[in-house]
Amino acid sequence: MNKLRLKFSKNGPIKFIGHLDVMRYFQKAIRRAEIDIKYSEGFSPHQIISFAQPLSVGATSDGEYMDITVNSMVSAEDVMNRLNDVMNEGIEILAIRELTEHDEKAMTAAYAAEYRISFREKFIPSYDWIDKFREYLSLDVLPAMKKTKKGEKEIDMKPMIFDFSFDKEQGYIRLLLSMSSSATLKPALLLQGFFDHIKEELAPHAMAIHRLDIYKYVENDGKPYIEPFITDDTQKRFYLNV
Amino acid sequence: MNYNLALSDDILLSIEKPERYIGNEVNSITKDKKTVDIRFAMCFPDVYEIGMSHLGIQILYGMFNSFEDVWCERVYSPWLDMDEVLRKEDIPLFALESQDPVKDFDFLGFTLQYEMCYTNILQILDLSKIPLLAKDRTWDDPIVIGGGPCTYNPEPIADFFDIFYIGEGETRYREIFDYYKKCKTEGVSREDFLHACAKMPGIYVPGLYNVEYKEDGTIKSMLSIYDDIPKTIKKEMCLEISDVFYPTKPVVPYIKITQDRVVLEIMRGCIRGCRFCQAGQLYKPLREKDVEHLKELAIESLKNTGYEEISLSSLSSSDYTKLPELIDFLIKSCNERKVNISLPSLRIDAFSLDVMSKVQDVKKSSLTFAPEAGTQRMRDVINKGLTEEDILRGSHEAFLGGWNKVKLYFMLGLPTETDEDILGIGEIANKVAAEYFDTVPKEKRNGRTIDIVASTSFFVPKPFTPFQWAPMNTKEEFLEKANKTRKGIMSQLNQKHIKYNWHEADASMMEGVLARGDRKLCDVILKAYNKGCIFDAWGEYFKFDVWMDTFKECSVDPMFYTVRERADDEIFPWDILNCGVTKSFLLREWKNALAGNKSSNCRNGCLGCGAASYGVGVCFENKAN
Repeated sequence: MNKLRLKFSKNGPIKFIGHLDVMRYFQKAIRRAEIDIKYSEGFSPHQIISFAQPLSVGATSDGEYMDITVNSMVSAEDVMNRLNDVMNEGIEILAIRELTEHDEKAMTAAYAAEYRISFREKFIPSYDWIDKFREYLSLDVLPAMKKTKKGEKEIDMKPMIFDFSFDKEQGYIRLLLSMSSSATLKPALLLQGFFDHIKEELAPHAMAIHRLDIYKYVENDGKPYIEPFITDDTQKRFYLNV
Repeated sequence: MNYNLALSDDILLSIEKPERYIGNEVNSITKDKKTVDIRFAMCFPDVYEIGMSHLGIQILYGMFNSFEDVWCERVYSPWLDMDEVLRKEDIPLFALESQDPVKDFDFLGFTLQYEMCYTNILQILDLSKIPLLAKDRTWDDPIVIGGGPCTYNPEPIADFFDIFYIGEGETRYREIFDYYKKCKTEGVSREDFLHACAKMPGIYVPGLYNVEYKEDGTIKSMLSIYDDIPKTIKKEMCLEISDVFYPTKPVVPYIKITQDRVVLEIMRGCIRGCRFCQAGQLYKPLREKDVEHLKELAIESLKNTGYEEISLSSLSSSDYTKLPELIDFLIKSCNERKVNISLPSLRIDAFSLDVMSKVQDVKKSSLTFAPEAGTQRMRDVINKGLTEEDILRGSHEAFLGGWNKVKLYFMLGLPTETDEDILGIGEIANKVAAEYFDTVPKEKRNGRTIDIVASTSFFVPKPFTPFQWAPMNTKEEFLEKANKTRKGIMSQLNQKHIKYNWHEADASMMEGVLARGDRKLCDVILKAYNKGCIFDAWGEYFKFDVWMDTFKECSVDPMFYTVRERADDEIFPWDILNCGVTKSFLLREWKNALAGNKSSNCRNGCLGCGAASYGVGVCFENKAN
């Protein structure tokens, strides 16, 4: 039995497929690929699959993750290739890694998510929104009303923003935001806070949100850092100011 | 993958289920439009989830796309939210694969599965900016062609179609495509193209036939305007059913649809001859597919789709001769693959109970019987073979096997129906409950009890059935009968174990009008659509009052089509078609029904219905040597 973590993309028209349908899509793809996936026990067995944080409908991604358990396989590479052979173009397995006993589930191991955010073409504003956004982030407190199970509560978004950069030529900003079971900041909430602050109207679905990757928390002997779930690139490490 | 969607992101994100409009599903086909000669838009005029569940479209889609020179794409009815956006933004309706406007296609095909979809046909044409009336179209518009069960009386929608294809689609399309290509290269007029099509077997071009009416509103004659086209059009049918194209790579949707599984068609036609049933007559004679072939199709389809469920499709699966062999095979191979098997339309007996206990959770599933009527007399009238003894014996065995949920289906408003027949519904339901208490002693019930759901629908007489002559009940009669049924159930000893459901009478009445309607209804349907009637098959959107006002406005009496008793020799709007069974056979069966005489099924004895003229199927079983 092997546990595998798969990194996949979600681009093009596939971005309109909701999270539950993406799960159903993978269940079928796994059957088409004839992967020896492990099933649960019981009268209607289901495949053992779990996903990291769902992506909202309309957002694209190059860094989604799911964990699967297989009874047998030739190699992790082979699982990836078989899947890619039966998948649609917009949804592609980018990397695969075998998990050890010590690895936490994708769902619980997530610590942060990196986004690239821009305006959809027909909504691009005439003013320099990126400059304004930079000013906004320099405020001491970034209050927002967050919906919870019990209603709404006021939170400060600032500590949940780990990193920020931008590219004016390309017209996007890049954000590294907290995404864990205890503190998740969705880009939509931050954007709403920003446009409220600068008193500009944000048309529904005006922003294109692209998730670049999901990060996990690593605490070796040294300083704790976060890095993408699957990576060999030490450049991708991001040290937290704790 | 086609990244160029017809709709912008913000539109798609503002409507319900954008997946309905983006195409790009697994196994959907994209071709280079420069390399094909014919572009075919295939439409099921209802919402995506319903239309995508239809096997017929998957068959023709796969078959057309197997032709190198043809690209077939899909179109479904935009849901009301999308309808509004398309009109407001003035975006022409598009096909899913290329996302190109439907108007640019060579053909627009509709499958007509139920009468209540007729206004949706107009929605599709309208949103595509194709003239609603066939007579107003030019070569700038696609050829609009209809197929499916409702084409067996296409007269109420005759004005909207260039062509109706009568019968199974596998046989004639290649011919039509070749001729179309020839006409396009040679610059033949649209009129001449249609005229030539009308000479092909199975092709009905309604514009080439004139209808004259008598003073009483019935038909005097339906004559062709040319001498060189047939006076009647005979149904097309596949003679070698195991050899025809079958889609083992059906399009797999992203969202959950109504039939979300592999569908394995095991045969066409039915031996049973229930007198109310249209499908039973239309698809005669019964033709079985080779069992070895079916096994291959099943495995291939599961592999190509990744579906977790497979279902058998036919009008009466229990009549498939090699059913035990097929099911054994499926159970074995599906278990290995963790695939579920769903088995609709099985007769309840020892065999089917055994099979069902292997493939489903007995505690959760329910048994279904369709006695259709409450007394044996009534069941003899409709020629439904099922007896009370069959039901009680089947229930008894099922209760021993652990089942405790039973569904019973009946019809109200059948010809010759009396109060006794109506009250018989409650009596049967009560006897099934009593059978449970007799079969399962109290100590073995483990806190469970019997749970019966009795449902009634209102009988709608259909063309090409022995009941095509029958008067249909009025809405008031229907509701009174439903009320009697309810009271009948309430008066039973075990009434608290029986739940009763009945249908809307308004929709049944409307279906009755359209089912046996004539060309005078084209005007009514067009006006009703213009007044906002759409998605009539959806109870919450069906505007009965608007329809009734429109009838008045058009001076058309809906009752003419429903409650009127038809004379034996009346010319029906659908008499221009020949579905294989003769009118004299249907009349004989109608008289047998009125006399309460049963008839045999095709395997027990031939009734000489006429379908043997095709030279295949059950008509020739055991006659080969």
